[in-house]
Amino acid sequence: MAEVRLDGLIKYYDDVLAVDDVNLTIKDGDFVALLGPSGCGKTTTLNLIAGLIDLSDGEIWIGDRDVTDLDPKDRDIAMVFQNYALYPTKTVYNNLAFPLQMRKTPKNAIDERVRKTAEMLSITHLLDRLPRELSGGQQQRVALGRALVRNPRAFLMDEPLSNLDAKLRVQMRAELKRFHQTLNATMIYVTHDQLEAMTMADNIAVMSDGRVQQYGPPEEIFYDPANLFVAGFIGSPAMNFLHGEISTENGVTSVKGDPGWVYPLTPANAQKASHCTSGRIIIGARPANLILSREEHPGMIPGSVYTVEPTGDTTFVHITIGDQIYVAITDPFFRAEPDDPIWVDLEDDRIHIFDEATEEVLREDGLNSQSIHGKKTLQPA
Amino acid sequence: MASNATSVEERRERARRRKPKRQIRMSDVLAWFTLILLLLFSLVPMAWMLSTSLKTQFAALQLPPEWIPSNITFEHYIRLLSPGSEVGQEFLRYFWNSIFVSTMTTLAAVAIAVPAGYAFSKFRFPGRQGFFIAVLIRNMFPAIVFLIPLFIMMRTFGLIDTHLALIITYLTFGLPLAIWLLKGFYDNIPTELEYAARIDGASRFQAFIRIIMPLSTPGIIATAIYAFIIAWNEYVYALTFLSSRNLLTLPVGLQRFFDEFVTNWPGLMAASFVMSIPVVIIFLVLQRFFIQALTEGAVKS
Repeated sequence: MAEVRLDGLIKYYDDVLAVDDVNLTIKDGDFVALLGPSGCGKTTTLNLIAGLIDLSDGEIWIGDRDVTDLDPKDRDIAMVFQNYALYPTKTVYNNLAFPLQMRKTPKNAIDERVRKTAEMLSITHLLDRLPRELSGGQQQRVALGRALVRNPRAFLMDEPLSNLDAKLRVQMRAELKRFHQTLNATMIYVTHDQLEAMTMADNIAVMSDGRVQQYGPPEEIFYDPANLFVAGFIGSPAMNFLHGEISTENGVTSVKGDPGWVYPLTPANAQKASHCTSGRIIIGARPANLILSREEHPGMIPGSVYTVEPTGDTTFVHITIGDQIYVAITDPFFRAEPDDPIWVDLEDDRIHIFDEATEEVLREDGLNSQSIHGKKTLQPA
Repeated sequence: MASNATSVEERRERARRRKPKRQIRMSDVLAWFTLILLLLFSLVPMAWMLSTSLKTQFAALQLPPEWIPSNITFEHYIRLLSPGSEVGQEFLRYFWNSIFVSTMTTLAAVAIAVPAGYAFSKFRFPGRQGFFIAVLIRNMFPAIVFLIPLFIMMRTFGLIDTHLALIITYLTFGLPLAIWLLKGFYDNIPTELEYAARIDGASRFQAFIRIIMPLSTPGIIATAIYAFIIAWNEYVYALTFLSSRNLLTLPVGLQRFFDEFVTNWPGLMAASFVMSIPVVIIFLVLQRFFIQALTEGAVKS
């Protein structure tokens, strides 16, 4: 296994910029998820690492080798594809044996490796079958097996679980994590599913518009988003964003919301807001950090109930404030009628302050080490 | 409600036994009628050919004709296929020439169309669209249009009265459709398969040979049949380009049965029948690939 280092990757498709200066270091033995919406450049980045498409600019290092100009076959990597890409004319056995055959492994060593891998994945009874005779879950295992059968320097996975049904996906997710832990393998895992990224990855690179927006451990991505995109993309239901203007009266800094409400900031949050250059900020609050009240209290934001969704464990309350709808998670037995008046308080030490102009998070010391404008190689914290 | 009258068990049993009704519709009858008509249209000439080839010259000219000859004779077949007789020698010579030209055309067509189809399908290169259309445009003109230009070209290259001239010519007929057919085949093969093979340690060429080509076997076979049949049946170019008697192919060679004295109808029919045998055999053996190849592109998403 080896470290994978991406140095200023740029990929143009004709005039479309698909990957825009991606700098990442994936540590030896790390499980890194490239997470982002479709079209964010994550699969292109993976294909660049694999060498399947040509780079427009930048360098790729695997271990101590510069592989930028190497063929995929010489990069010593393994890859699992979303559609599995099993060789249709070969049996499961020969699918697993193919990577070893191409590397001129002696026949008895191939047999040993294939059987060991099959056993590890519990697919020994399928070895004589053709891929089309397998279920989706079995095909997925074979695809995984073809990657695990040799000892590559890194595993690349392109949404390997997205074609499975929900139950199997949860099971394979746990299994993949076990494999990673037992093999201590360097894994780069592309997904649009934040749950997969959060549950499996040691570090997540959130991508959008061909750029890495933030790179760090799942907790950091969740609790300390670097900008508005990451904050809005991670978490379900999504984070609420309240836009407003900063105003200071009698030494107290408040936010004056567009619909007219006024929300006083704590000293810590006021300190963050003081770094705002435009005078307008966005308060980001996750649904769980909204506190609802039936009665009016000073410093709370007035709204009205839009609809109530009981889910069993909790209740989602949709609230209209001005012309926006926000979501709060409350206790399971909260009930209300549409258009009931309601007041919203925020957990002040859990909210995030963003500069409306730059959409960057504002911190107390005014520094944003995770800024997307930082050109240096991002290291996971 | 039905459940009031009978128990659920009874209704279940009845439902299980109910067979879907097969109704004969007007459109079905029309379809059968058309198919039978087409079948007769293609089979009757074949049957007559076979029947005539088994008659004597005298019986062949009899009116009304006999469908099943009363005196079956194999003399024409024996004469054609015996290397001893003069006719047999000539016929076998033509047969061999046809086999040679058709086989060479087929091999060359496959060797060119397979990589070309793959390139048009998976590679991005300047002029890709233009080249592809250019290839297809060739098929929009009747073959005869190219007779004189090709003749002049062949004469320039000194290829007149050689089999190579025919092979090259037949390639220009067969390749456009062959390339188009194979491109459709390769379009349906996911690019990830090639990717997977290259990551597993294959070069681009190895990935093509070991993974992609086996998948396109039906397409390759269909292409081969098509190229073979075009070359096997072609007449005008063979007549124009060849003059030496020992180089003639079967379609031209058969003409000789018209020439001398009076047309030997049973002999001509026997020769025609023998000529159709290789194509029929090839088609029977490989037809499932051919049908698969022609429908695959249309049906698979």
